[in-house]
Amino acid sequence: MEEEILRLKAEALAALAALGEAGELETFRVKYLGRKGQLTGLMRMLGQAAAEERPRLGKLANDVRQELETAFEAKSQELAARAGGAGGPREDLTLPGRLVPFGRLHPVTQVMEEVCGVFAGLGFAVAEGPDVEMDYYNFEALNIPPHHPARDMHDTFYINETLLLRTHTSPMQVRTMEREKPPLRMIAPGKVYRCDSDITHTPMFHQVEGFLVDRKVSFADLKGVLTTFIARMFGEGGAVRFRPSFFPFTEPSAEVDIACVICGGKGCRVCKETGWLEILGAGMIDPEVFKAVGYDPEEVSGFAFGLGIERIAMLKYGITDIRLFYENDLRFLAQF
Amino acid sequence: MKFTFSWLTQYIDPGLTPAQVADRLTMAGLEVDSVEELFATFDNVRVAKVLGVERHPDADKLTVCRVEVGTEEKQIVCGAPNVRAGLTTAVALPGAKLPSGLVIKKAKLRGVESQGMLCSAREIGLGEEAGGIMELPDSLASGAPLAEALGLRDTVIEVDLTPNRADCASVLGIAREVGGFTGRKMASPVAETDLPVLDGTNVPFGVEVEDPVACPRYAARLLTGITIGPSPWWLRRQLLAVGVRPINNVVDVTNFVMLEYGQPLHAFDFDRLAGQRIVVRTPRPGEGIATLDGQERTLEPEMLLICDAEKPVAVAGVMGGANSEVGPATTRVLLESAFFNPVSVRRTARTLKMSTEASYRFERGVDPQGTVKALERAARLLVEIAGATPVPGGIDRKAEIPEPPLLTLRVARTNDLLGTVYTRKEIAAALNAIEIAAEEKDAGTLMVRPPSFRVDLEREVDLIEEVARLKGYNTIPTTLPLVPMRFPAQDRQRELHRELARLFVSLGFSEAINYSFVAAQHCDLLGLAADDAARAFVRLLNPLAEEQSVLRTTLLPGLLENVRHNLNHESPDIRLFEIGKSFFSRGEASLPEERLRLTAVASGRRHPGAPRLHAGEAAVDLYDLKGVVEQVLAMLRVEVRLEAEALARSYAAPGSSMRLTGNGRELGSFGRLAPEMGRGFGIKQEVYFLDLDLDGLGALAPAPKGFRSLPKFPAVKWDAAFLVPENVGGGDLIAAIREANEPLVEEAELFDVYRGKSIEAGWKSVAIAVTYRAADRTLDDRAVGKVHQRLSDMIIDRFQAKLREG
Repeated sequence: MEEEILRLKAEALAALAALGEAGELETFRVKYLGRKGQLTGLMRMLGQAAAEERPRLGKLANDVRQELETAFEAKSQELAARAGGAGGPREDLTLPGRLVPFGRLHPVTQVMEEVCGVFAGLGFAVAEGPDVEMDYYNFEALNIPPHHPARDMHDTFYINETLLLRTHTSPMQVRTMEREKPPLRMIAPGKVYRCDSDITHTPMFHQVEGFLVDRKVSFADLKGVLTTFIARMFGEGGAVRFRPSFFPFTEPSAEVDIACVICGGKGCRVCKETGWLEILGAGMIDPEVFKAVGYDPEEVSGFAFGLGIERIAMLKYGITDIRLFYENDLRFLAQF
Repeated sequence: MKFTFSWLTQYIDPGLTPAQVADRLTMAGLEVDSVEELFATFDNVRVAKVLGVERHPDADKLTVCRVEVGTEEKQIVCGAPNVRAGLTTAVALPGAKLPSGLVIKKAKLRGVESQGMLCSAREIGLGEEAGGIMELPDSLASGAPLAEALGLRDTVIEVDLTPNRADCASVLGIAREVGGFTGRKMASPVAETDLPVLDGTNVPFGVEVEDPVACPRYAARLLTGITIGPSPWWLRRQLLAVGVRPINNVVDVTNFVMLEYGQPLHAFDFDRLAGQRIVVRTPRPGEGIATLDGQERTLEPEMLLICDAEKPVAVAGVMGGANSEVGPATTRVLLESAFFNPVSVRRTARTLKMSTEASYRFERGVDPQGTVKALERAARLLVEIAGATPVPGGIDRKAEIPEPPLLTLRVARTNDLLGTVYTRKEIAAALNAIEIAAEEKDAGTLMVRPPSFRVDLEREVDLIEEVARLKGYNTIPTTLPLVPMRFPAQDRQRELHRELARLFVSLGFSEAINYSFVAAQHCDLLGLAADDAARAFVRLLNPLAEEQSVLRTTLLPGLLENVRHNLNHESPDIRLFEIGKSFFSRGEASLPEERLRLTAVASGRRHPGAPRLHAGEAAVDLYDLKGVVEQVLAMLRVEVRLEAEALARSYAAPGSSMRLTGNGRELGSFGRLAPEMGRGFGIKQEVYFLDLDLDGLGALAPAPKGFRSLPKFPAVKWDAAFLVPENVGGGDLIAAIREANEPLVEEAELFDVYRGKSIEAGWKSVAIAVTYRAADRTLDDRAVGKVHQRLSDMIIDRFQAKLREG
């Protein structure tokens, strides 16, 4: 029995090799592999073999069938290819795929998610506040009393005496601290508004505010957290510098620059030949802010920071006109 | 704040290049905005000697000159009246770029070649004179670059001052900071010991301060014998370089000293002051003033004025009046140096919508102890350059000026807040470097009295910032805070938005972000009723434009404008969505209601960007939007009803919109935009919209996820086709089958709707596949047949349907 199977295999393979035309394939298939073919015939006779032989022979026959089928398939393809697709029209592999295109998240959202993702990884919670804010939260509680020159830094849209469109996401510091006790680690992304419109300013843009409050938090910690963030966001090893600045709600205050991502620090138009790009404002939360929310500045300290999302998106993607973000031109959106 | 490097070096020698100074200033918190080489493009402006002048053959007013420029001789056509042989002047040769932006080229003027241009002082930015070409000393060698010959090379540095650093709105303030980081001493032009006594005795004028709160200090001196004229070149040059227009010697001196000391000064023509008196007061009813800029100003009751015996002569701290202006005939000048209340000046400047160099400084706080020093400096300069004779003495009206507070600075507190290990000595040294005296109280504490010019130093923490700033932020260590580990609770609503955004992106929609403020007319364009809730606008008091004057109550108009934009920019196949807030007024006193919505629009081809080969031109239709809604609901796992709108919303095409309801409220809608509404937005093709109330949807409880065992027995699928009248909804048949609650029915699917050949008009064929399955056995035809018949009878009966044969 075994001999017969092996003989059949050899014969079939030889016959297959000798085949020259696609038309002869079917004859071969019927003769060897078909329901009434020789191999099937042999397999039917397995029942007559000795019972202890049967499993081995069965497996052998099956292996042979598989081998022949594989060889047959290969031969079919070979002949089909030779005949230029005589077995049916050839697939044109150069045609486009049947894709159903997906859309894109707005680049502002993408950068925002990336920023939030880094801070979420550092254990910061994410929360959003109202766009329409009270003068108190936007200014007064942040140590910006009425008629303070610092109000000039914010071209504010007013709704009435007490309500305005928030000019920064910093009110979330106050709202959160009023509600919760330290330790706090939070970032607050959102839209902010300033009445200003030109190639580098839109009257609405996006910021992410962040703050960390606990006992004995220091300026060195601020530097550490923001340096970590910058490394995640812009790559390890880039130069970072902290320089003094002024915000009424932080003291000491800092602006944070990174080496220009366009020229690498050599100086170009984007960095105004300085080699540096300002990307963050930050500082130690001012004692007046702590007092406004009922914290004791002798007991707790903390830092806060804020960054403009559009600015980072512009730097990251080389976008030259901020107004493009709000035209929602599909040719623009499709690039990100 | 702009200053030149040459001006700075009058007070301190930094031992650094201008670029180094600029860098150090930035790192000290005085951010340098620009460093500009003066006359950098002046290489082709040279000293020239006119050799000969001939009349232009073709123009009366032009001359043709032979000009010596070093070893070369040029032919230059000139129109100046003062051109003459032997004159030493300035020539701009081809390639020179003048301050006006003009680039000099070889040219033909009325047929005669000119190889450059002879220049007036104004043309090369060296002065105001434009009546003729420059007349330079004959000693200058022709051919020499003009900038070098006149010693013009300089650098202008502009510092972007933060509002707290009023003291640095002066060149001396900058010099003090330079001293801080170089460790060098600065010298100021007037020493404390040089100050005159202004006790008001024997002076021929009077000063009365009616409002000592708004004007805590007012000092004045009289100078006589003045000859008004142009200032000397050194003075004009410094003013021009920092962008201040030279006017005459008296005005220029007041401006120069303001820039030098940060103390605004004002010069009155003493002979135009009625009663030879200054009265500092608020306006009388009906009073107004014409300011120096020629504007008539309406005065408000709280504005502080400088008046003479009769009338206002200046708006205190903001601008002088035309009626007492120093002019060519002036010989006696009353010089004012005062300290005005910052808030008062700020209010006045705001109300008058004026921002001047003076108001800028007063608002931020000038040095209340520097009043007389600046006055003395100006008087000395007027003696020097305007022939003035000071009348001995003067007046210095001083109200209570609080002394700067004595502050306690703890070394431990400083180091805790900064994360540093500074010693008491280091801290004191840093402060001393910028004239902040710090005395040791005990081992861990310094007592600090900030100088009067540092009005920003009021608290210990302000001093800590000074220490950090002076030591350099980049010398502070970088550490990570040790905070207790805690899981940050995430906002579920926010996560929901993110999931939905991803779903829409995967469905081919791109995300749009539009401004929160829109035009109120949007509601009209959508045809909303006068009492529609969407008209409960929150209005801006000071919008940038009428189209951005109210906060949006719906996101749809913004997206429709995006559709128009894209159609106009050759993108006719559009899928856009936006997740954003809508705002509804709750009255003046309270914050508006902010509701989050997801709105989407689709127009053009069904799958924008899909290969036409496969996707063809098929346009998006209502079922695409319905499918999106169904996918949203499936993802959210919430119970929401979709129902046809009996009364179509104003902007939807009739019979082509549905609303979503759940929890007893509307949660959204979708449909086809009424074509006339589209046209209102400038859109000529079909647009479909979808609008979801995310706060409402987020409030619904999602169905819990739970496991049901997979079926063990096969299903049987039987089809049936019914003829139903047109007014019967195909989906109603499926709903009826589901409602029948037959235990063996697993699913019913509508797979074809057919009208036309062999179907009577007014009727349609609806084909349904019903899947039957039992949990415990394989179903046979008899069991299935019985149920199938029951359902079939039910449909025929309920919808006046007929079974379609064949």
